Formats: sequence, C-alpha cells, structure tokens
Amino acid sequence: MPPGALEGIKVVELGQMVSAPYCAKLFADFGADVVKVEPIEGDVARRWGPFPGDQPHPEKSGLHLFLNTSKRSLALDLESEAGRALLRQLIAGADALIENNLPRFMRQWGLTYDELSAINPDLVMISITPFGQTGPYAEWNAYDLNAYHLTGASSRYCGRPGEPPLEHGTFSADFFGASAAASWGLAAVYGREPAGGGQHVDVSCAEAIAASFVGGQNIGAYAQDGKFDKRTGVGMSLGAPATILPCKDGHVWMLALETAQWNGIAKTMGDPEWMQLEMFQDMFTRAQNDDAMYPLIEQWTMEHGKMEIMEECQKNGAPVSAVFTVGEAAEHEHLRARGYIVEQEHPEAGKIRNLGAPFRMPACPGGPQSPAPLLGQHTDEILRELGKSEDEIETLRRDRICG
Amino acid sequence: MAKNLPLKGIRVANFGWVWAGPVTGQTLAFLGAEVYKIESKARIDLTRTLPPFGEGVPGPDRSLSNHACWAGNGSVTLNLKKPEAQQLARDLVAECDVVVENFGPGVMEQLGCGYEALRGVRPDIIMFSMPAAGLDGPLKGVRTYGLSLTSLTGLDSLTGYADGPPVPVENAYSDPYNGILGAFPVIAALRHRDRTGEGQHIDYSQQEAIMHMVGPAFMDYAMNRRNAAPKGNRHPLGAAAPHGVFPCSGDDRWISIAVLTDEEWSALKSAMGNPAWTEDGQLADVAGRVANVAAVHEKIAEWTAQHDDRELSETLQKAGVAAAPVLNVADLLNDPHYKARGTYVEVTHPLGFKETIYGAYVKTSRTEAAVEPGPVMGRDNEHVFKNLLGIADDRYDQLVADEIIY
Repeated sequence: MPPGALEGIKVVELGQMVSAPYCAKLFADFGADVVKVEPIEGDVARRWGPFPGDQPHPEKSGLHLFLNTSKRSLALDLESEAGRALLRQLIAGADALIENNLPRFMRQWGLTYDELSAINPDLVMISITPFGQTGPYAEWNAYDLNAYHLTGASSRYCGRPGEPPLEHGTFSADFFGASAAASWGLAAVYGREPAGGGQHVDVSCAEAIAASFVGGQNIGAYAQDGKFDKRTGVGMSLGAPATILPCKDGHVWMLALETAQWNGIAKTMGDPEWMQLEMFQDMFTRAQNDDAMYPLIEQWTMEHGKMEIMEECQKNGAPVSAVFTVGEAAEHEHLRARGYIVEQEHPEAGKIRNLGAPFRMPACPGGPQSPAPLLGQHTDEILRELGKSEDEIETLRRDRICG
Repeated sequence: MAKNLPLKGIRVANFGWVWAGPVTGQTLAFLGAEVYKIESKARIDLTRTLPPFGEGVPGPDRSLSNHACWAGNGSVTLNLKKPEAQQLARDLVAECDVVVENFGPGVMEQLGCGYEALRGVRPDIIMFSMPAAGLDGPLKGVRTYGLSLTSLTGLDSLTGYADGPPVPVENAYSDPYNGILGAFPVIAALRHRDRTGEGQHIDYSQQEAIMHMVGPAFMDYAMNRRNAAPKGNRHPLGAAAPHGVFPCSGDDRWISIAVLTDEEWSALKSAMGNPAWTEDGQLADVAGRVANVAAVHEKIAEWTAQHDDRELSETLQKAGVAAAPVLNVADLLNDPHYKARGTYVEVTHPLGFKETIYGAYVKTSRTEAAVEPGPVMGRDNEHVFKNLLGIADDRYDQLVADEIIY
C-alpha cells in the first residue's frame, strides 16, 4: 500500500474522551505518526465502554477501540516534572499537538501555546474544548452535553415543544468540533510556510455548531427581523411530508418536497384519491394540512415494512428512507460492498469490527492501519526515540513517571 | 498577525450546491483559498430562494441564510446545460488546484466535467466528490436530503426521549458537518500532490462520515449485537449520571448538567444544599447513579425549576459542576461568550443592506480569516473570464448575450 497522505507528519495527542482523540484519529488513519499521551491510568474512554459482555476492561472499551486506531500509546504522569519534561521533549519534535484539556490544566502543566511555541515555533497547537480558549465561559467546566446545548441546535431543532431540547444520543458537539479542528488544524500544518510558522488553532465545539449550523440558518433572520423559531417535534414545519413516521417494523423518514416526489409516494401507496386533493398539491399546503395528512400516510406505513417502503418509494423517485437501527446500518450490503466495515485483530479484545475511512483517497489510501494501542504499549519505543537509555527507561517506569 | 493564510495560492472551482458543497468551499476560503462557485440563473440554487431576504425584498442575491452559509465562496455564472459553458468550466478547472462537487454520482459526467474530462485539462487536479452515499455501491443513487441522510447511518435511531420513538432533527446537521470535514481530505490531497505531483479523485461518502458519530453505538452492536435506542440527554454510553437537561424558571428555559466524576457529584450535592435524597448510599458511585438515573433526574428537575438558568449555571460553575444554560436562537446573538469571540458579524452586502453572518468559527493565532458577505451571482465573472482565462471583451459580451455566461 502506498504511504498515507499525511505520512511524515508527527502529532502528539494529549486528549481524553472524544474530541481530541477523534481529531487525532483522522490524522493517524491517513498516515500521520500520532503518539497518544495518556495518564498512567489511561484515557477515561477506556472506562466508558461499551464492553464485550458488559465486562469492564481497559483494553476492550468500544469507544477507545473506535477512536484510537493507528496510534501509539505513551503513558505518562503529567503531575510530575519529569513527566512534563518528557512531554515537552516530544512536542519539541512534533508538527502538531492535539489536545482537549481545559485551559487551566494546560497552564498548570506549563503547556500553554506561548511556552510550547518558544521551544517549537513551527508547532501547530490544536486545542478543542467545549467553549474555546477565550471568552467568559472559557474557564467553565464543561463536557460535550453542555457544549451542544449552548449552540441553539437543540432548542431550535430537536425535541417536542414543552419538553427538553435534545442532543442526538451521541457526542455530537465533540465530533463536530473535532472535524472542524481536523480541517483547520491540517491547513495550519500544511500552510506553515505561507503563514510564517506554527500557530494556535482554538476550537470551541459549541461555537463551530452555533456558527455554521444554527447561525447559518437563523442568525441573519433574527438580527434583521427580531424573530426566531423553536423546535416543533416534526421534521420540517414549512414543508410536508417531512418527518419520521412509525411503520410496521420500525420507522421511516417520509419526505416529499417536490411534486414528482409526492407523486412517487402516491404511486407507491397505490394512488389513493385523497392524495389528489387540492390541499395536498404543494409542500406548503401539505404542511398547513399536516394534521389531516400524516395520519393518512401513517395508516399506510403501519401496514408495510421500512425496507420495503424505502425501496419502493426510492424506485418511484421519492427521497424516502428507512430509519436504520445501528445494526441495519452496520450490516447493510452497501457498506459491505464499499468495504467500509473493517476487521482488526487486537491483542486483548481479539477480532473486532471497526468503522473504516469515511473518504477514499485512491492515490494515498487511509483508514485504520492498526488497532487502538494497549495502554503504554509504545512507551519504551518512544522513550528510546527520545534518546533515553534502557537504564533511564527502567528508572522512569520504577518511579511511575511512565507506564 | 496577518501573514498569509495557510491556503494562499490554492484555487478552487466549486460546483457544490445547496449546503454541504458550498460549506466545503467556504471552509477552504476561510483558510485562504480562492474559491469560485459555479452556478447559473438557468437553475437557481434552492437556497438562494429561501426567506427571509435582506430588508425584506425578495431576490436570489438577498437570502440571508444562503449568504451566511455561502460567504467566502466567489461566484461565477455558467449555464452548464450548454456545451460552450461546459468548455468554459473546463477552462476554469485547468487553472484550478481543486474541484468540489456534491451532486449525485454521474451528474458531473453529464455536465462534461467528470474526473476523466477534468484530468484531461489538468492532470494533477484534485477532484472532491461528496455524494450522499459515495460514488459506488448499491445505494449510490439513493435519494436523500441532508435532513434524512442521517437515517442511513443509525444516528436517527439514537435521537429521541428515553425509550421513546426517534425524534427528527429538524435541519441537516450533516450538511455543515460534512462541508467542514470535507476540507480535511482536500488538504491532505494537496499535500500528497505537492510531494508526488499526483492528483486524485476523492470519494467522500456523507453517510460514512456521519456514521463515525455513531461509532460508540456501532461498537456496542459489533461486540454485543445490541441496537442502541434513544436515551434523551443521558450519557451516550451510560457511563455517567446525572447527565441531562433540566427545566429552569421562565418559559422554555433549561440548563444542561453533566456529572462525570464523584467530585462533581459532591459539588452538585453541596450546591443543592445536600438534600436528604442525595445521601442515599446507592448514589455514592457512578454505577449507582446510573442505575437510578430517572429518579435522580426527577429530583434535580424539581430543584432547578426554581432557578434562573444563567444564575444557576454561574452558581454551579463556581462549585465546579459542568453546567450551562440551554440557549435558543435569540440568546446566541446576545450571549456574552459569542460576542466576545466575534462568532457573528454584521457585514454590508454590495447591494447595500446589512446582514449578520458567522465569521471564522475557529480562531487562529497567526492568521486571521477574512469575512465577506454572501456572493452576488456572477460576482467574479469579469475577473475569471477576462483576467484568468484571457477572454477578449467582445467575446465575453457575446457569451453573456448568448446566456452561456448566465
């Protein structure tokens, strides 16, 4: 296999949980050499699971196994000066540092951008936190949940009126922030020459969503007209059908905005007379009459399976899709044909299935190169690369500076 | 500040439309690339027709949401139904480093701008295609909107109230997500080109990229054959509690509270005044709190409902608890944090009205991204066709008269 696109880029990850590890995974899966620096007891994600048979084991956490492919692991005690000195030495030779610690911890450890750029002016430091490095909430304690709900996304777009606004049921803010960090961070690494050196890339997970998702669609309207909308619990309030409906064996996304799409659903349903009524002839009037329309569609969907509904509607030109369970997505022939699901052999977890690269680069393929590392699996190797002798390594291990 | 932006000198032809593709162009533009969106009056992009409009006056150059999402892209108008326009598009691509598109598979070929044709005019071109489900496979032709694309990943099956049906997200989270992440493989491919001289055609599947968000639940399926169900705002892996959104005083006011450690739990208890129910020994560790999450949440909700969301957030933060107000759209514009970070900026559009859009949502210490208003259709026609492609004035006028540049 030819080398990955990012071969030769050296990355140090000082991250736990989701955001920084996911960003660093994107670098690692496409060829960068990523050293994941973990505390002696390991990344918190190792304790979050899911675990095979629900038996907790630090090497078998699914979250860890997903987020840390293609990396090397160095276990290091950052509370010790010796540990911090090793980390600084590692960073001195790196192209990028990817981290998601609250700014106060980075200050305590002497790892601020000012301190690190003094030893490595070409370093790109990518900081991914819920609220970013500046602003009144920068010092707040926060996690993915707090970030997501500060974006307006939940209040505006998900949940029933009068009930709590909802996140997706995954770490949506962390993934979004990590993706923004990957693009902006890689640009900063790639563009060091025109930019004149390294820099600090400050990502707030909340801000990325509040700007590009919620802001993009709503803020201009509010700033100009002083009006804004809130969640309705229905997929789209302006046009219909556009929502999730129950069917015989699950749920389907019923969607028809254009006339041809509506006709496609009608054809699939056997052209019932009510669908020809004037009040249902465009997406706006359908939305105004959705109290009448949705129950009629639902009567039909309840008699059919989701895959059948999707297949027939798609055939007839309507963008209707089944709400796949995770398993239905994982087992789908489409993803199998594309080779998206990969198998890995992990020394502790055994044969595991993992998600592959979300984009294919034929000239320099990527995707998981090796399974997530064992805790401290590469400690000795990395210490040797830093010029430590076998005696020094033994001492560092004995003193619990490294693990 | 104000050295060159990282992608200075990179030129992009962006055939992207609606949302995801234009956002990839915008991202590359924030990073310094020169980006030309190719569009046409012959088929005006749906998002240019979305209200509200600048000063309330309808028009394809006045949609406020379109402008925010497209800002940074330039605009070149070509009626790609006509062969002469397709030729001009290829001529432009010959002067570009990158092509971006988010049509369905095969559409670029129909427009005379498939990868093979573009490689013919620019051998090291990087073509970035981001169809819904990739360029090949049984579902390659699947019809979705960004709104429903997530249903093919398992993500929608995770969204909803605990043990209830899936609740739809009312807009396409996947569009800006994929638009922004799309810049990553483009830049990776630029690096590869610089090192080898080789271009390539990137196949970015929006479905597969969003499915990474489902990674944690996928692993549970892969390991335990278990299909996750909606769990409200509880911790996605059931690894912490309390973890939720709780009511506050006022209409539709809420606070998010996430307790991941025992220290945070102690801090929350003290902030609540150590009520008797918190002393239950079962709640002393994470496992016990998770096992009793519904009851714990109910009790916390009774307490938070008596408080103002912002005041309570401040109080809890002082105590060390991860808590923050749940903001609505109006709150965003007035929030001190977003104000301090300059998240939203008011710019004057060339047509004279003011519009509020978002600026660089990532802050970079050495380079400052430029923020421009949304592009007027055809804004860059003269520059691109006359300066870049060297078309003489009279021929240019003829192309405009013939509605090729249109």
